[in-house]
Amino acid sequence: MLTQQILDGLSKFYPETILSVTILVIVFVELFFKKKTRVSGWIAMAGLAAAMLFTFLQVNIPAQTIFFQMVAVDPFSYFFKVLLILSGFLIVLFTFLSDEIRSSEFKTQEYYALLIALTLGGFLMASSVNLLMMYLALELSSLSSYVLAGYFKKSNRSSEAALKYVIYGGVSSGLMLFGISLIYGICGSLDMFAISAYLSANPVNLITLLIAIFLMLAGFGYKISAVPFHFWTPDVYEGSPMPVTALLSVSSKAAGFAMLIRFFLVAFQNAGHPTITTEGLHQYITLPGLHWPEVIAVIAVATMTLGNVVAIWQDNLKRLLAYSSIAQAGYMLLAFVVVSPQGISAMLTYLAVYLFMNLGAFFAAILISNKYKTENIEEMKGIGYRSPLLCVSMAVFMLSLSGIPMTAGFIGKFYIFSALINNGYIWLAIIGLMNSVVSLYYYIKILKNMFLIRPQGDTGAVSFGAGYSVLLLALAIPTIVLGIFFGPLTKFAEYSVQIFGLK
Amino acid sequence: MGINYFLILALLLFSIGVAGVLLRRNAIIVFMCIELMLNSVNLVFVSFSSYLGNSIGQIFVFFIMTVAAAEAAVGLAIIIALFRNKETINIDEINILKW
Amino acid sequence: MINNILSFLIFLPIILSIPILFFKAGKDKLIKTYTIAVTIVVFILSIILYFGFDASKSDFQFVEKVQWVTDFNIFYFLGVDGISLLLILLTTLIFPVTILAVWNSITTRTKEFYFLLLILEGSLIGVFLSLDLILFYVFWELILIPMYFIIGIWGGKNKYYATVKFFLYTMFGSLLMLVAIIWLANYATPMIGKFTTDYTELRKVSIFMPLNIQMWMFIFFGLSFAIKVPMFPFHTWLPDAHTEAPTAGSVILAAVLLKMGTYGLLRFSIGLFPLTFVRFAVPIAILGVIGIIYGALLCIAQKDMKKLVAYSSVSHMGFIVLALAGMTVESVQGGLIQMVNHGLSTGALFLFVGFIYDRRHTREIADYGGLTKIIPIFASLFLVVCLSSIGLPGLNGFVGEFMILAGSFASPNLHNNIYTILGTIGIVLSAVYLLWMYQRVMLGPVENEANRNVPDLNKREIISIIPILLFIVWIGVYPNTFLSKSEASVKRVIENVEAAKKNILNIY
Repeated sequence: MLTQQILDGLSKFYPETILSVTILVIVFVELFFKKKTRVSGWIAMAGLAAAMLFTFLQVNIPAQTIFFQMVAVDPFSYFFKVLLILSGFLIVLFTFLSDEIRSSEFKTQEYYALLIALTLGGFLMASSVNLLMMYLALELSSLSSYVLAGYFKKSNRSSEAALKYVIYGGVSSGLMLFGISLIYGICGSLDMFAISAYLSANPVNLITLLIAIFLMLAGFGYKISAVPFHFWTPDVYEGSPMPVTALLSVSSKAAGFAMLIRFFLVAFQNAGHPTITTEGLHQYITLPGLHWPEVIAVIAVATMTLGNVVAIWQDNLKRLLAYSSIAQAGYMLLAFVVVSPQGISAMLTYLAVYLFMNLGAFFAAILISNKYKTENIEEMKGIGYRSPLLCVSMAVFMLSLSGIPMTAGFIGKFYIFSALINNGYIWLAIIGLMNSVVSLYYYIKILKNMFLIRPQGDTGAVSFGAGYSVLLLALAIPTIVLGIFFGPLTKFAEYSVQIFGLK
Repeated sequence: MGINYFLILALLLFSIGVAGVLLRRNAIIVFMCIELMLNSVNLVFVSFSSYLGNSIGQIFVFFIMTVAAAEAAVGLAIIIALFRNKETINIDEINILKW
Repeated sequence: MINNILSFLIFLPIILSIPILFFKAGKDKLIKTYTIAVTIVVFILSIILYFGFDASKSDFQFVEKVQWVTDFNIFYFLGVDGISLLLILLTTLIFPVTILAVWNSITTRTKEFYFLLLILEGSLIGVFLSLDLILFYVFWELILIPMYFIIGIWGGKNKYYATVKFFLYTMFGSLLMLVAIIWLANYATPMIGKFTTDYTELRKVSIFMPLNIQMWMFIFFGLSFAIKVPMFPFHTWLPDAHTEAPTAGSVILAAVLLKMGTYGLLRFSIGLFPLTFVRFAVPIAILGVIGIIYGALLCIAQKDMKKLVAYSSVSHMGFIVLALAGMTVESVQGGLIQMVNHGLSTGALFLFVGFIYDRRHTREIADYGGLTKIIPIFASLFLVVCLSSIGLPGLNGFVGEFMILAGSFASPNLHNNIYTILGTIGIVLSAVYLLWMYQRVMLGPVENEANRNVPDLNKREIISIIPILLFIVWIGVYPNTFLSKSEASVKRVIENVEAAKKNILNIY
């Protein structure tokens, strides 16, 4: 019986198993190569592709939990698995094409193993329904990302970034654990469904519960870099190797969001009450008296405002993108305030378009630093005329991040603000849009330097290999196309809202 | 003995840990303070486990201990890498990156 | 093709802009000829549209409606009525004229310039033809991008400041509009039975919304239009953008972009929230009048010709705002024809300033004087344009201003004719600043020796300006050609307002 259940679980755990095997294979293969080689990169890609294949096979699997209610296999986790694999795949390509990593004297084998480990951690974060599992998944992805951030051992900036990351990470996981222990003390269980059932049936001290929630938010907020747990973000983003920064800004953020959504919606739903639908509005029913959506609203507003305002003063492109990604997390949190399937699907849509536009922006930044040896925006004057394709793509990503129509970013914002307005949060929507105006200022500052100011000194054209251009277009074209034909994406997001255990 | 004593002790330890992280300037001591935070959480788990009479909390403690060890390994490795570059582990002097 | 003529109007310039990127750099003449050919084809299309348009119908014609976003019922929905028809004609006329007129002023990055110009034309036409709010919003925002680059790359000394200011101002307004669009569609959902951003559906139900909610939506919409018009006190972006933009940019900005604001007020603010507009008619009229007088006073103080023309836009657009606030058939018709007039006259004024700037590279009024003797053709044509802008009877400005003043004087919505009377001062002031400028630049003795050898207008420039002059006189003498096309649509708008007023009496 026990074996039966484990075997049954394993049969639905192929993607994760494949990733684990990939990690081991990379570590093993490493033993046979003394010199730098791309072999482990290709293995990583093969592993990701295989995991993708097996994820696709799960597309119509009925929502369920496996391994004794530790991990859920449902459309929600499916969405994040696809997202994480896509992002992992692109990051491997980025690493191939980044001069920064190629020129470093280090072997890249462990790098790919850690990248896959981070992806695996993200998989588990998106699907765990038990707080113990959730904590382990979080630590798996955190530990890999600490090492990745400090991957250039000999670089001052890289190891400093890693140290800051590990300290902030340690503190927030400590806070989160304290929160988990309080919830365990209150409910006597770590299972999210049991927590929800207990809280719905028994009166509890709401103050203690709120303190526990705040403590847990430290863990989530740190992963998605929400204010006030964002302090590590700019430093780590600036100091880490650029592909790692891109990975942190998308994969680990997406996984953090997955965990946040699942935990809050499942653990704090009012289990006794069926979901009600009024006036075409479908809302999740949360515990009465527990005002966590309001807390999220405050955090969301603070996050995007801080991110946007501070980004204005940045000269370093990576730092600017760091603050911009803080602000983007704020927009996504806004949609969570609604606590309805519409809001969640808006979040998922935004995450998907964010994958393309943010990875695109980072890839463009990688190429700029490859060719122009600079990360400073002021030194990018006039490069729009020296490498038009690169800079036009960068412009597309910037405009998309700021949410101009005809780009994917607009669709993301449109869905988020529709969800907000639909549920009566008009002022929140207005604050969000005012933030967009602020963000425009720094996004177009980059465009200004690239296109409006004439190049100084060398004005020769700088071109890239075909591989670079293809990858750049592979990110820029979806960013535009998803701005015009986004039906399939939003359908996918709406389908993926089905979280196991929620009506 | 009631559970409160244990919880208060754990809270004290946790607060010492948090204060240490915020106040101490030596990266290794900061790390030890993080460990202290984790251990105080362990204490909470164990006391709740015994109070509630279920074993889940104690299982969690094992996992925390393992993860804490892993985290310490990674953290110390990073501190060593940094020390080789900068010859200091004073957090105030680790300041190339700032806004 | 005639059924899809609106799509052709929008996408012909946008799609045909792409080949420009593949032309060899340095083949400037080819690029220019190609661009002008495209814009002339678009103009011919709009003439076909003009003749195909049935003036007796007040409904939207040549309608194209395709579902774009299924779950939100957002449509690719185009249609033309008398109001948009005139603005389409204006837009398509101004583009070839401008390109011909500034033939040699753009010397760097020609390819990109003409590429952006065609994109701009397509999206401008899109703004005037969209009948779905989201589609409208998309085109509205799309305009910012080419305009940002046109000002930012080919602009004057302060171009960065000007272009960022322009961008952020407009963006601020339009994002509020986005909130209002979603809010409106959302609020209308139970009334219509589905979420949709279809303008024709929404306007049926929007008048029944609670007045305080209407008011907020109206303000959000109105703010974005007011910034674009620009209405006092949101006008501060305009002088910067105008003076820094290259001549072609200024002409298009003045002639067409500003009309987006007044068009939006007429189509969406009045169309969707007639009652709220009636409630706010007086404050809007006051802002319009302040704009008229304030703009005119600022003009008198200007030393730079381009700035003077820029501020005169503030003043002239004030008339159109007053006209819309008046909300009678005459005043709105006058406002509409004045939109066209302003496009022609101010566009032409910018062209003339550009002509003289290309020759002397200064725009300071004090640097000129006595040019009449040196460049007589320029002087005489410039005089005609100035007079048209002032509103001399027989030229177009008079028709528009007269109709506006007559219409708003008797308007029941303003309760008081003091606004009209104050507006009249604006006409007097416009005579003062324009004629005074003309006198300082053109008349008197030649004081600056550098002006002696200024060449007169060449054939290309004369040819480019002739269509504008033609329409200036045409509208002045026989405005009915154009007014008759828009009459039914304007009447319909006003009838809607009156009906809404009656309705509200029935409700309360």
